[in-house]
Amino acid sequence: MSDLLRAPAELKYADELDWLESIDDGPKPFSWRLSPRMVRLFVLGSERADGLDRQVAQKWFGDRGFVERAIVTLASDRGLLLIGDPGTGKSWLAELLAAAISRNSTLVVQGTAGTTEDHIKYSWNVSMVIARGQSRDSMIPSPIMTAMEQGSIGRFEELTRSTSDVQDALISILSEKYVSVPELDADNIVFAKPGFSVIATANSRDRGVNDLSSALKRRFNFVRIPVVTNKRSEAEIVRFRTEELLHRHQIELDVPPTLLDILLESFADLRAAAAAATSDDEKLESALSTAEQIGVLEDAILHSNFFGDHKLTAHTLASSLVGSLARRVPEDLAIINKYWHGVVEPRSKDQGGNWSEFLAGGRDTLATLS
Amino acid sequence: MTATFAPLRARLHDAAETFADSPGSLEEILRGLVDDVDRASREPLEIFPVCHHSPAAATAMVRRLRTKVPKVIYLELCEDMAPVLTELRNCRLPVAVQAFATELDGFPAEWSPLSVVAPITEASAEYQAIAYALDTPGVELVLVDRATDHVFQSEQPQNEIGIEIGDLRPRFAELEEHLLHHGKVRHWSEWWHQYVESPLGDADHDTYRQVMFLIGSLFRRLTPADHHRLRVDENRERHMWTRIREHLAASGANPEDCLYVCGAFHAASAVAEFGLTGTDTYEIPPRTATIWRHGLIPSSHSAIEAQFGLAGGSVSIAASVWQKNTTRTKITPFQLAGQKGAKKPKRPNPQPAPVTEPAADKLSGFLTQAPTLDGLDEAELLSWCVEIVRAARRNGYLASTADAIAVFETSILLAGMRNRARPTPYDFSDAAVTCIEKDVVPGRRDVRRLVEIMLGGDRVGQVGYDALPPLARDVHDRLAPLELKLEQRGVQRALLDISSKPELQRCSDVLWILTRLLPKAAVRPIMGDRKLGEQAIQESWDVALGTHQRPLIELGYEGVSIEQVLEQRLHREVNEPTATAATALAAVEDATLFLRSKRLADELGARALDILATERSVDDAPEVLHRARRLLAYYRTAEPELPGWIESFVKAGYAHYCTLLPGAVLDEATGVRQIAAMLGFLFSMENLAISLGCDRTQLELAVAQCHPTEPAKVALLWAAQLHLGTLARTELRARCTGLLANPLVLPEYPRYLTGLVHALEPVPSLTDFVVEAISTAFAQLPDPVLLPWLPSLIDTLRTNVPDLAPLLTREAARIFPPRLPDLDAWTPPWQAPAATATRRPATPPSPLLTEHPRTTIALANLLGYRPTPTLLTHHPETATALAALLAKR
Repeated sequence: MSDLLRAPAELKYADELDWLESIDDGPKPFSWRLSPRMVRLFVLGSERADGLDRQVAQKWFGDRGFVERAIVTLASDRGLLLIGDPGTGKSWLAELLAAAISRNSTLVVQGTAGTTEDHIKYSWNVSMVIARGQSRDSMIPSPIMTAMEQGSIGRFEELTRSTSDVQDALISILSEKYVSVPELDADNIVFAKPGFSVIATANSRDRGVNDLSSALKRRFNFVRIPVVTNKRSEAEIVRFRTEELLHRHQIELDVPPTLLDILLESFADLRAAAAAATSDDEKLESALSTAEQIGVLEDAILHSNFFGDHKLTAHTLASSLVGSLARRVPEDLAIINKYWHGVVEPRSKDQGGNWSEFLAGGRDTLATLS
Repeated sequence: MTATFAPLRARLHDAAETFADSPGSLEEILRGLVDDVDRASREPLEIFPVCHHSPAAATAMVRRLRTKVPKVIYLELCEDMAPVLTELRNCRLPVAVQAFATELDGFPAEWSPLSVVAPITEASAEYQAIAYALDTPGVELVLVDRATDHVFQSEQPQNEIGIEIGDLRPRFAELEEHLLHHGKVRHWSEWWHQYVESPLGDADHDTYRQVMFLIGSLFRRLTPADHHRLRVDENRERHMWTRIREHLAASGANPEDCLYVCGAFHAASAVAEFGLTGTDTYEIPPRTATIWRHGLIPSSHSAIEAQFGLAGGSVSIAASVWQKNTTRTKITPFQLAGQKGAKKPKRPNPQPAPVTEPAADKLSGFLTQAPTLDGLDEAELLSWCVEIVRAARRNGYLASTADAIAVFETSILLAGMRNRARPTPYDFSDAAVTCIEKDVVPGRRDVRRLVEIMLGGDRVGQVGYDALPPLARDVHDRLAPLELKLEQRGVQRALLDISSKPELQRCSDVLWILTRLLPKAAVRPIMGDRKLGEQAIQESWDVALGTHQRPLIELGYEGVSIEQVLEQRLHREVNEPTATAATALAAVEDATLFLRSKRLADELGARALDILATERSVDDAPEVLHRARRLLAYYRTAEPELPGWIESFVKAGYAHYCTLLPGAVLDEATGVRQIAAMLGFLFSMENLAISLGCDRTQLELAVAQCHPTEPAKVALLWAAQLHLGTLARTELRARCTGLLANPLVLPEYPRYLTGLVHALEPVPSLTDFVVEAISTAFAQLPDPVLLPWLPSLIDTLRTNVPDLAPLLTREAARIFPPRLPDLDAWTPPWQAPAATATRRPATPPSPLLTEHPRTTIALANLLGYRPTPTLLTHHPETATALAALLAKR
């Protein structure tokens, strides 16, 4: 077992990346570790037709076009902004791209209301400044500045959560590709090495909180990641992430495919209901994303493992689903209650099996919460 | 089997052994593919395989026609469409050849109308072949595919069947999905563009032919054997080869001088009738007796894409690739003389002499080598980048030169990543979206749509005047006085000052008929109305016949003039089994309004009478009432005497509704509105009906037999009884008061009121009472009863009795005080003490009255009052005033 709770992609897939690098004979832009085609292969997985000796697993599920557009953006002069609803896999894609291109996906700045310009540029080690004065040694470079110095990919999570003046600090970094340090007399400019670029992510639900300035927009290419609505790819994603989770927790537990179907079906129904709703009160607060589904399943698995009899049941899954989605009382509870009576109940009558147990589990939890 | 393809066969055999677990079936398919190519290549009658909307096919076709100069061209197109092809020269492409049938004989009547369209674009091999054959002296064009009639003998009709020459697409979804997935492309058009179109762009004739044969064979062999379409296709192939052999035998043409143009799919056919040496075992089935009309209708790139399930913009991209190919390869495409919307053809370039030796194996080379591609066409890509940035700016994007550079760079990077030597329009489109599209779309169009527009956009074809059917030409001629460019697309405003230019009346007639026959947007009256008995002196119209050419052309299949078509349609409408008396009366009205034809109106009126006599439903009663009233009013003013049919109609209607009334009142399905309309018909046409010999007793009996249970109908019946004099107004008022006083029926009171409101239709004199009843209801009904009823009251007034609502408000205005302060002192007339109580105290009679009583006595006698003094004592005002006047003197 690894001693990391969650290893970054470049560590987790180190073997695979090494192997891909060894067979890669395509042209590589700047200091990229893999050629763009290999990056695509790493993210989207290999097929038999690629004629590789080794199977490369698919790690991100979505349209091929998005990945291609994201990769070429990084090879160009502009930064990449992945925009989409929460839980659509933006950060995961950003991590995979950074890992494949520069073998370092940890140079991350998290955008929050408290993010300051120092987090993007640099700050000072106060005690060292007092002891030795301002010098490059007493400077603490931000992850973005480190990426510039290394010529690798820097990441900026939730760009739109940070305030506009902080965002605008990125403008000069993205256009001039250097940061000047006016406090120093000599060696006061940090230049970006070839291969440096920025992948930012932004939540489309945050639109209007801190709008990007048009100057910054110009320096980013936008790639919009839609919510996965294709049932087949969604099932793939949930299965993939669940396996990973079971592996991480070293849990020996079987997820029956019928339960997975029930989960997908319920989310599809709830999404359809949310799409038809006319006001926010008729919609669940949750975005009903794929990540949310994985969360529900994860809860259910952990619960069964530690409190149950090491067997995932429809009852536990229903409790987990209701528990995760009912955030607002009474609005969310009312919607789930309506769903349970209007859809799950008739379905359990028609199809029986796991649906009946699912119905009972949901009812129990609803009763506890109400 | 020849030795030409022996090395290829050997290699495929090896491949099958290497890749397949059981090489048998794979090898069979792979070898079969080569066999098909071999057989089609060796066929003495040269087969030219094509694919629809493929500029490469068009280029190869032009080259082949210039080198071979065939004398006969056999084309895969419905054989009955041949006569209209020459009319293509009067059109701007894309247009579609249409076969249309409305009168079906041999097909189920519910399939009507049947329509088949075959769109033709400039960038297609078939257009090149047609243009060559029609404009080269001594060349014959023979259409060999089954007739449109046969299309429907084998296929279930959809809205419209589209046919294309060279339909080349995998026949089952899995294969297409597989090809797209492994080709790393998004849709079929892109796959074709990358894997066939581009590599074949500059290929020589033999390579082109062999590759197309191979693709056709691949899709054919991977089609499930029990596929319905495959059986249909096999029959078509049998049909085509039978026709070809028939033609060759009849004309004595040398097969070497002929060219057979068909979809690549058909070139790999395994039917016994295939080839010049094929068997003559196929018997072409007879056609049904359905009469087919043929014509050209305008088409558009987007319509073609939608009809054949192609990706948006793909036909436009094909068109722009074709334009580029012609300049790059310097070929001179064929073009029909007089064709609009294209450049004039130049003198053809000298072409190499025809190759006569048997074709070598070009397939091995094509399959094993990477295609030779022309270098990066930088100038074109640059111009696209600049153009898209300009277009984006015009549409509200903050795009700049920096974006143009980024799009350029990204296109190249994307193409490299997708294994393409030069960016395709699809790469460019993706690059433009990546670099220019931000979080919001500022205008109406997003970047992808802008790219589509920039790369050719949607081109809409147009059928020229000469290619129009006689009806459409006639419409154009008759609208000429309007001085509009009718062929132009878009909406044009026509102003008709009929009072100063009476000749425009004829244009107005045409426009009104067109409003009846065409979709609303084609001609739309803005000012002016056509109603019975009214004559417009000025009209203004929005005319968009250029945009809606197709429906006008399709009218042309129905007759030679719009009057004839309208007359036919009116006849059809009234003779349909679902026709009602109301639709027949509507047809009479239309005949009078639009055709001014008394003869037709009489015919249709007679039919209305027939329908009414057999009708057992009263659902249409309101419409029958209104139309009959309108027609009666019109005939009374415009004609010297009423037409016979309408007299009979009123007579029959009177008896008809009298008979149906008692039943309808009890029938739950019949609404109050229908009963009110029936009573309206009976009461308002009573005079005419009685003068024609009807008996009023019939009506009285009918009303007496009515025993409604529903409150609204009960109220309606009271109104009818009031009209007939069997119920007094005071009695009606007493009944209403009784209802209000009874707490058990109080909640039902609004329904009685609804009945009374409906009663305005048959008994308009009840208006004041309805005002009284509503006022009482407002005053006395408790809110929980009153409020839920208000919306339905408004709805009833608005939808059911819209003409009577003003009457009601006028009456209310008369009864209620005009000013608010007066309201406090106001007493409603129905609450005022009876007239006798208001009698003034008797004043001493004027001496004038007692002294000169003769006038008053005479007047009283005249009025029917016997005891004379009553009038004198009760109404002394006149006499008193007169006495005063005389006294003054």
